Amino acid sequence: MMTTIFRAALAAASLTLLPAIAAAQGSVQPPIGEPRPFHLPETRSFSLDNGLDVTFIPYGLAPTTRISIQIRAGNIDDGDQTWIADLTGAMMEEGSGGRSKEELATAIAAMGGSVNVGIGWNSSGVSTNVLSQYSADAIGLLADVVRRPDFDAGEFDRVRQNLIRDVDIQRAEPGAIATEAYRRILFGDGHPYGRSLPTEDQLRSYTMEDVRAFYRSNFGAGRTRIYVAGRFNEDEMEAAIRSAFGDWARGEADEAQGTQARHGPIVQLIDRPGAPQTTLRLGFPVMGIDAPDAPAMTVMNAMLGGSFTSRLTRNLREDKGYTYSPGSGVTWTRGGGFWTFNADVTAAETAPALRETFAEVRRLQDETPGSTEADSIRNWLAGVFVLQNASTGGLIGQLANRDFWGLPEDYLDTYVPNILAVSDAEISRIATDYLPLDQMVLVLVGDLSLIADDVRALPELQDAHFITSAEE
Amino acid sequence: MTHSRGLVALCGTFLLAACQPSQPVSEPETAAPEAGIEASHDTSFQVDVSYYQLDNGLRVVLSEDHSVPTATVGVYYGVGFRNEPEGRTGFAHLFEHLMFQGSANLPHGAFDDLIYGSGGVNNGSTRYDFTNYYEVVPSNALQAILWAESDRMASPNLDEAQLDNQREVVRNEVFVNVINQPYGGWIWIDLPMIANENWHNAHNFYGDLSDLDAASLADAQGFFDRFYAPNNAVLVVAGDIDKGETLAWIQDMFGPIPAGAPLPEIDTSEPRQEAEKFGFQEDALANQPALAVGYHMPDRGTPEYYAMAVLDQLLLQGDDSLLTASLVNEEGYASGVFGGINLLGNTFNYDGPMLWTVGLIHDSEFTVSEVMGTLDTTIESVRTSLVSEADVERARTKLLADFYSTVDSGTRFGLVDLLAAFALFDDDPARINRITEGFEQVTPELIRATAEEYLRPTNRTVLEVRLPSEDAGSNE
Repeated sequence: MMTTIFRAALAAASLTLLPAIAAAQGSVQPPIGEPRPFHLPETRSFSLDNGLDVTFIPYGLAPTTRISIQIRAGNIDDGDQTWIADLTGAMMEEGSGGRSKEELATAIAAMGGSVNVGIGWNSSGVSTNVLSQYSADAIGLLADVVRRPDFDAGEFDRVRQNLIRDVDIQRAEPGAIATEAYRRILFGDGHPYGRSLPTEDQLRSYTMEDVRAFYRSNFGAGRTRIYVAGRFNEDEMEAAIRSAFGDWARGEADEAQGTQARHGPIVQLIDRPGAPQTTLRLGFPVMGIDAPDAPAMTVMNAMLGGSFTSRLTRNLREDKGYTYSPGSGVTWTRGGGFWTFNADVTAAETAPALRETFAEVRRLQDETPGSTEADSIRNWLAGVFVLQNASTGGLIGQLANRDFWGLPEDYLDTYVPNILAVSDAEISRIATDYLPLDQMVLVLVGDLSLIADDVRALPELQDAHFITSAEE
Repeated sequence: MTHSRGLVALCGTFLLAACQPSQPVSEPETAAPEAGIEASHDTSFQVDVSYYQLDNGLRVVLSEDHSVPTATVGVYYGVGFRNEPEGRTGFAHLFEHLMFQGSANLPHGAFDDLIYGSGGVNNGSTRYDFTNYYEVVPSNALQAILWAESDRMASPNLDEAQLDNQREVVRNEVFVNVINQPYGGWIWIDLPMIANENWHNAHNFYGDLSDLDAASLADAQGFFDRFYAPNNAVLVVAGDIDKGETLAWIQDMFGPIPAGAPLPEIDTSEPRQEAEKFGFQEDALANQPALAVGYHMPDRGTPEYYAMAVLDQLLLQGDDSLLTASLVNEEGYASGVFGGINLLGNTFNYDGPMLWTVGLIHDSEFTVSEVMGTLDTTIESVRTSLVSEADVERARTKLLADFYSTVDSGTRFGLVDLLAAFALFDDDPARINRITEGFEQVTPELIRATAEEYLRPTNRTVLEVRLPSEDAGSNE
């Protein structure tokens, strides 16, 4: 109290002293001014005659160049051969253009980079980050990886064994166990989206010829876009790309069929005896990324569980101490999307944590959030957008996302205004429309002897279809 | 975005790129094009660094760069796992959580509200020799965020209810990262506990759960008074800032915080290891056995230390490394090998004894002696033969590229971390612009001599992760 009076008196006496005095260990927070403008870097795009697209993003401080070759091929193209895309990607890392894996690795390492083939649900990427003076040379190496994999049969058994081992390790992790079950409920066994992990028997059945066939059907210039970001010479880079990719065949068109996630009420309980925590996935199908409701969905998610200041984090972690890292997010798919809340909660608090979670969903549905809280969340998303676009890797990710989903050219320019335009009432409407508790999908991996009875007694789950299984 | 704060929140654990050195600027191979695009071949890179010290001992590093309208703040306190008191394992980390629970003018939750509400993100982490608190915000919020950091440096609310709450949060953190995961703590918690002799380096950094339960509010106040004084801290502000204005704010807000008593000196030294050590543990959650091998590092800053960083690149980092070639590509024991210098950070951000670590998860059909036999053959090759100049040059190039990746990120957290480490441990943040110097002195002869002494089998600890035996079933 004394300090406040003292400072007030001084402020009246001397305006020039005010800022310094008020700030010195003061009790009053300095004001937050207007944000300075943020401009996305200019990009330049062009296409080759074979359908391959290219985007240049001159950006960054350090003399490095990030190259990312994005191909519209992924697990969605697996058909019944779960992870044949991953096996193909792993074989593409094993040597190309007559160079062994080690020769390739040594050549790219001398440029400061490494070759990584990453397989995703919907698309895949071959990427590297090299010192700028080598960026044009790196294009030639990556072209070999993408266009001329050796598919050396002598490496096949070892590479397939690596995948078998990796899957086996994942099946020991509660998060992977939960996600596998969750995806199967959402998408069923009939679509690749529903099969997140292959069985060992499946992997053993795959042959070198299966890999070649997958590659032939899914890789080609017509399904490829190259992003180059960083500091590089655009003319040299364009010439290098035209030379390395200009005569690549267009390949087969991307005709993968998406599907929309299903809703519940379905609860799957998976026993993990002795587990001190329960790993949970709670979810609902939502709209696609191009739907009018998508920006409001993004804001609703951030407020409910998608930010550190979200209601679920505040409640379950900062108030109750039930969990360390709760979080929620939207996964966009071809055909729609789904929203997921995930957390690992103290086993004994599993049912209480679910009760709090359901209560927070209902509270958001029933009461329009106050504008102070909503402004804070909208501001946060606007700020995070800047951070997401403030690195070469982030920029490529944002542009690749826009391009993959076929969003408008100005999607990134309108993103923040669209977020800021979401009204407080819309946040509640989105929660009501898309998170109906009587249609939830819920997966719990934990010690069922400790949690199952309490969970089954939750009123929200009385009409749910229960599946109970031992840990796989 | 980050949702967690804690030991492994940042490190992710083995993926974090080492922040590294550069080499002389090399000329572009082709003629520089006309103005307008010639910048694209300019390989120079210089970090802006200004360094100050306030009267209360607070060290301040400012780095101006207006490429993105954000400002990144890091407050690094010179206290980590090594400083925590016996009987209070895990306390440095638990205390880190308490620093987020409010301060004199910011009630519980207001700190996070301020940062997130202005469009930023924040986190903290606890490491061997420091505990850090960092945030990136739109630059218009910088003054407010500095005020908030000064408020919790001056007077955090240490409160019984918050202590109890965060104790549960940390317990859940240990569950989710260690106890309920296969391979949860073997290589980064358990291996150093066996490899080190000195308690400061050899206790459980995450904390025995019983020690966490015993931690009291009095412990917290004592810990704060002892270690969280401005004379034991470094403040870094980087990004879209005006240095003069920022320094004036810092002077006003942090200047009045009184200095603390000089810190107690602790002896963290390790004796020279003379005999190979072995340990094993059964992991009831694992499906495959695993193996970790840790060698004591040369002292930080010595010529041999720089040689070990080059050896790390040659032996372990990337698909071109010798251990990847032998253990993964030739023998097919594992899908990959991982590890490096300082698994909870990088080559630069520690100040004491450290391990260079190699780890792999391998198929059950291969025995430990088979895997160790191949590892020995590979490591013996660099202890007995000279590596080529081309190999050394390639290692330097990888280190330079890693350094660029670290400092040129959207959040500037990597840049701030290096500046803070060089200020805290070397009193010389400008070292960031001479980061390559130590590596340039490394010769094939020094590499061999370093390998001979530090990659001795008698300088290492081998920790096996076994699958549970038939009659057992408990984890550890």
